[in-house]
Amino acid sequence: MELQPLYQAILDGDQKEAVTITQAAIDAGMDPDEVVKKYMISAMDEVGRRFENNEFFVPELLIAARAMKSSLGLLRPLLVESGVQSAGSVAVGTVKGDLHDIGKNLVAAMMEGAGFDVFDLGVDVSAEQFVEAVTEQKVQVICLSALLTTTMANMPATIEALTEAGVRDQVKVLIGGAPITQKFADDIGADGYGDNASAAVTQARQLIA
Amino acid sequence: MAAPLVVRESRQLALISCSVMFREMATVVAQSPNVIDFQFLPKGLHDLGCEQMSSRLQHCIDAIDSEKYEAILLGYGLCNNGIAGLTARQLPLVVPRAHDCIALFMGSRHRYAQYFSDNPGTYFRTTGWIERSGIDGELSQLTVQHQTGMDQTLQEFIDKYGEDNGRFLFDQLGEHRRNYTKQAFIEMGIEPDGSHEQIARDEAADRDWEFEKIRGDMSIFRRLVDGDWDAADFLVVPPGHRISASYDHERIVDTEPVG
Repeated sequence: MELQPLYQAILDGDQKEAVTITQAAIDAGMDPDEVVKKYMISAMDEVGRRFENNEFFVPELLIAARAMKSSLGLLRPLLVESGVQSAGSVAVGTVKGDLHDIGKNLVAAMMEGAGFDVFDLGVDVSAEQFVEAVTEQKVQVICLSALLTTTMANMPATIEALTEAGVRDQVKVLIGGAPITQKFADDIGADGYGDNASAAVTQARQLIA
Repeated sequence: MAAPLVVRESRQLALISCSVMFREMATVVAQSPNVIDFQFLPKGLHDLGCEQMSSRLQHCIDAIDSEKYEAILLGYGLCNNGIAGLTARQLPLVVPRAHDCIALFMGSRHRYAQYFSDNPGTYFRTTGWIERSGIDGELSQLTVQHQTGMDQTLQEFIDKYGEDNGRFLFDQLGEHRRNYTKQAFIEMGIEPDGSHEQIARDEAADRDWEFEKIRGDMSIFRRLVDGDWDAADFLVVPPGHRISASYDHERIVDTEPVG
């Protein structure tokens, strides 16, 4: 079965088409791991590349991730059944006091698109909740988002809470959001900084490689 | 016999301010002992991203006649790093220590921090936020939201991405205030009548938000233009230095030497 149209459907953000082809691939007994890695994740990588080159914008990125997510939903039980490992596990959330979620949602969508298990902790997430994601869900990366300089100070507070809980060395911390800079990430001892959702994926891959 | 009035000395100051605080600044400038020339810039600069915003502000700063004034006052908060990097060339720059203008309207960054912490998800309204927060003309094409394709109407999304994806995108991107639950109108005591408050109340009702009227405080505006720049509440940037963000709730802004 030719699956190039699946790649194209995800790139085009055509959820319906992507789901139809994915179901056909399942019915044909294709290896779910190969379907995901060869066609779906590579389509999302191309979406990320075009986004970083200003060929794609936020809407294109969101609809591609949506198509990816629906297809992945069909394949996930098969992946679990066959014991296929995900790309890694990440928790994403907007820090305490900050209720803005567009950027955070973009990062969650792109992480899912890259094959990560994603725990979306939502907005106004306390340091304790991030610590719990590490102790309970054993996530490898936590992604902290903030839109306001008012709430940026809750990023170092979260990192301190991880240290106090004795789990700082078990997790990588990635930060991002409109007022965030690489310098700020360095200053507060974060492991990485993503200038956009696609860059966050690249960073997460590098951090757990 | 009444004591003769001592004629005090006036200082010549230049003010560059966001127009969101137009009525407040106009009031304190009118009543200040100092002689102040001002220019107001559109609130929309806030939406251009920090680099664009600071470069436009720097352009205005550099155009001010350094022979004519003692200092340049900035009617801004840190504004999401929109003033970070601004450089004082011949004249000092003076800016209140505040994350954003809401701290200025409240008269204290501490009061704002407390309110922010006690009331997450509050959207603030003042006369300026009602009258002058729109973005039009050239600026509307340059906002981060526009450049990333986020500022489209439901119909525009549907036309471009189809019915299903269009509705999905509008749901995801069309309402950046969806997690807000409350609207606070900050009454500064200079409003012409109750119209602004009523608009804020109606908006809150339309969105099913809680509404609160809180008392504003003109003191930071007044102290800025009167020259009462206590280092605890104001940053004075000496020539040859620039503004940096300190990412805390006390200092908020600092200076660093250029180069």
